Amino acid sequence: MKQKPSVSQILIVGFFILYMIIPIVATYVFSVAVRWDRTILPEGYSLEGYTTAAKNPYFFSTLRNSLVLSLSTVLVSLIIVVPTVYWVHVRLQTAKPLLDLLMILPFGIPGVVLALALVQVYNFHPLNRSAMLLIAAEVVFTMPFMYRSVSNSINAVDIPTLTEAAQSLGAGIRNVLLEVIVPNIFPGILSGSLLVFATVFAEFTLARLIVGAGFKTFPMLLVEFTRIDGTVAAALSVISFTVAWIASLLILWAGGKGVRSTQEVVKAK
Amino acid sequence: MAYLDLTNICKTFNNVVAVKDFSLNIEKGQLVSFLGPSGCGKTTTLRMIAGFELPDSGTILLDGEDISLVPPNKRGIGMVFQAYALFPNMTIRENVMFGLRMARKPKPYIEKKVDEVLDLVRLSNTSKRYPHQLSGGQQQRIALARALAIEPRVLLLDEPLSALDAEVRVALRGEIRRIQTTLGITTVYVTHDQEEALSISDRVVVMNSGLIEQIGTAQEIYRNPDTRFVATFIGTANEFHSVVTNENTMQCDNMTLTTDRVKSFSQGSRVVALVRPENVEVFDVKPSETRLNLFEGVIETLTFHGAITRLGIIASGGKHITADVNLTGRDMLAHHQMVWFSFRPEYCQVMPD
Repeated sequence: MKQKPSVSQILIVGFFILYMIIPIVATYVFSVAVRWDRTILPEGYSLEGYTTAAKNPYFFSTLRNSLVLSLSTVLVSLIIVVPTVYWVHVRLQTAKPLLDLLMILPFGIPGVVLALALVQVYNFHPLNRSAMLLIAAEVVFTMPFMYRSVSNSINAVDIPTLTEAAQSLGAGIRNVLLEVIVPNIFPGILSGSLLVFATVFAEFTLARLIVGAGFKTFPMLLVEFTRIDGTVAAALSVISFTVAWIASLLILWAGGKGVRSTQEVVKAK
Repeated sequence: MAYLDLTNICKTFNNVVAVKDFSLNIEKGQLVSFLGPSGCGKTTTLRMIAGFELPDSGTILLDGEDISLVPPNKRGIGMVFQAYALFPNMTIRENVMFGLRMARKPKPYIEKKVDEVLDLVRLSNTSKRYPHQLSGGQQQRIALARALAIEPRVLLLDEPLSALDAEVRVALRGEIRRIQTTLGITTVYVTHDQEEALSISDRVVVMNSGLIEQIGTAQEIYRNPDTRFVATFIGTANEFHSVVTNENTMQCDNMTLTTDRVKSFSQGSRVVALVRPENVEVFDVKPSETRLNLFEGVIETLTFHGAITRLGIIASGGKHITADVNLTGRDMLAHHQMVWFSFRPEYCQVMPD
């Protein structure tokens, strides 16, 4: 039987939720506030922040750029990570510790260092300061999220035996991957994609240092506005959150079938 | 020429020999078991037939075609795994269909075939369920149906019953044999369970340390083991380490054993005589007729196994003997009871020590 939670347990969880949610709520409120520095609650409300933001000539182009950048990063990351993790599990187990180690590096290298290093090394046409280089950098930067998610879900399934079972039934490697492996590790692919998407969508340092004004992203516009008008910056933040959430919901919706099949797998354990 | 023909197969992993000079012919429709302890190379050999491992040397011919280097998905060989390996994301029906879809069979044929094999394993009613909703035994029957659906040229079973509990194991092995004989499908069965191997095989291949110890029918393997390994690995055997004293006797401590099986050994050579527990007769009083190999001892342990009772006897010289007796219709034996035991000369298997 379930025990009732104690007061202290409720307080701990409550504190955590407040800690996470207050900045978001504050941003939402600030984005519609008229003036909010002399009173506890704003002195009035208006949508002016949003209209100003939308009227900015860079609003839609930066939004589009960020979406393109995030989706491309997810795509490239999937293409690189999924087959690699699969082959490491099936054929090259010895390479696993090396990969695990490599996947810590992006956390250890500051974005500024990574950006400057890439700009120096790839200082030739057509890569120099291009969106392509930025995508490649973002792939490296967010690789641990994708790798961990995919690797964990591959660990949870007996991939080598499932592969052999499919092969003995006449499946070539393409069918093994698409019909057996991917559906069974889909939750990992999904959560990895979400993390990568959300991270890249809000990423500023790499984008600013690698391409700068050549490929202006949404966070760059946001940072510009923080220097001009806090309300508009808040409005842009809200839009950024919202886009990330809509994208997450879309990915989850598209992956509904995969999630269900994984619940089956989890139940089976 | 045999249907499945393995010649001089060798396989080494990181300088460790897994299989050495393995040669075997399997006739069409036979069920052959590979039996041996863990690491004896039985699974490696099976995986080479399946194509998951490539032999370092040697050839594998299937129906006259050299398949040694053919990739696994092109061999047309069905396989059943110890861990079932059903696809968790597919229903039972989709699992069974998988191989037929890969072979691009027409839809009506697929539907018919799936019904047929599900019927064969008596699980037609589960087709809409997912693997995790089935018991282990049912999952393994589905795995068998899935392998059979593609009408494989050879069926390979890799310890298919090891993950199941005892009762299901016995029932399912009967089922496997029934289906195998019904379809007349050439089958290779890997197991470390001697009872399983002896009960369902046309022929048994006993393996040890990558080598074949003996190939034969279950009875041949059990009754006339070629090597000491086979004799002790299959069933239980009393071992009498002896020295040959003349052409039909040998001396084991203070016991003189008589059997003409020592004829082929020279006088003074060291041999071991093996006698199965069920071939040891036990008497409460000294039998009146003359008997060879009759000795005295004391019952030390008595274990009831149902049909038989296993006795642990200490012979007068101190040697431990195991005897299986049927106590139905005779006086009960008791601990520490003095008994006489004997075995017929022809039940002695003699081999070099």
